[in-house]
Amino acid sequence: MDQVGYIILAISIVVILLAVFVISFVLYMRTPAPKGCEKLGIGPKNCEDCNVEGCMIYKQRHKKEE
Amino acid sequence: MEMIISYILAIVSYMLIDNVVLSRFYGICSFIGVGNKVKSAFSMGLAVTFVIMMATLVCYPLYFFVLVPAGIPFLDTLVYILVIASLVQIVGLFIKKNSPTLYKTLGIYLPLITTNCAVLGVVQTNSDASLDFLTSLANGLGTSIGFLVVIVLFACMRERMNGYNIPKAMKGVPIALITAALMALAFMGFGGMVG
Repeated sequence: MDQVGYIILAISIVVILLAVFVISFVLYMRTPAPKGCEKLGIGPKNCEDCNVEGCMIYKQRHKKEE
Repeated sequence: MEMIISYILAIVSYMLIDNVVLSRFYGICSFIGVGNKVKSAFSMGLAVTFVIMMATLVCYPLYFFVLVPAGIPFLDTLVYILVIASLVQIVGLFIKKNSPTLYKTLGIYLPLITTNCAVLGVVQTNSDASLDFLTSLANGLGTSIGFLVVIVLFACMRERMNGYNIPKAMKGVPIALITAALMALAFMGFGGMVG
């Protein structure tokens, strides 16, 4: 295989993998969350384990505790 | 029989002696960030174990049967990142669809696994050292169990430390880093166990 062939093969492998990632990402986002798990994002309840002191949620949580 | 023993020794070696966090310094971010409570540390450890094993299973044939014969092994890191990111999405998709309990436990940790360099480190080591398929699996299994053991032990210690009177300047990350350093020293004691 010549140089152009290698480049085309390399680009096609990367494009295929990117397509797989995009499709899986879109499917993941479109799949509805199970009942009771709709809001699993950032929030005082979900961030209890976190220790990042610069975060606003951490500061709010510790102000309340104090 | 000798083969089985050598694979078991490889697993023990990757788990304790050449530990992914304490010896190779991969996955420190999730180790410090999530290793705060035993329950979440165990969930994170299990999720990482699953993704490492899946990534090893997928990346090994991709590297040795596609990238190397095609003469493009330099694309390995890029391919691994895309494979790991896709795997995490697919695993997340199945969990979201089929297991609400597991989704509730792992939900917020799933995106963290994509950025966990321990996963990339394992598959990269497999291809760089040209390990055979079974040794690659042993590397994946040993590394992931090592990660699970260390993060759970670390979380146990941090939970116990919550009750201690620690100076204000040392609270949080500083004392966590000192604990991790002492754990690394303790794990050095395993050196030489497997010849």
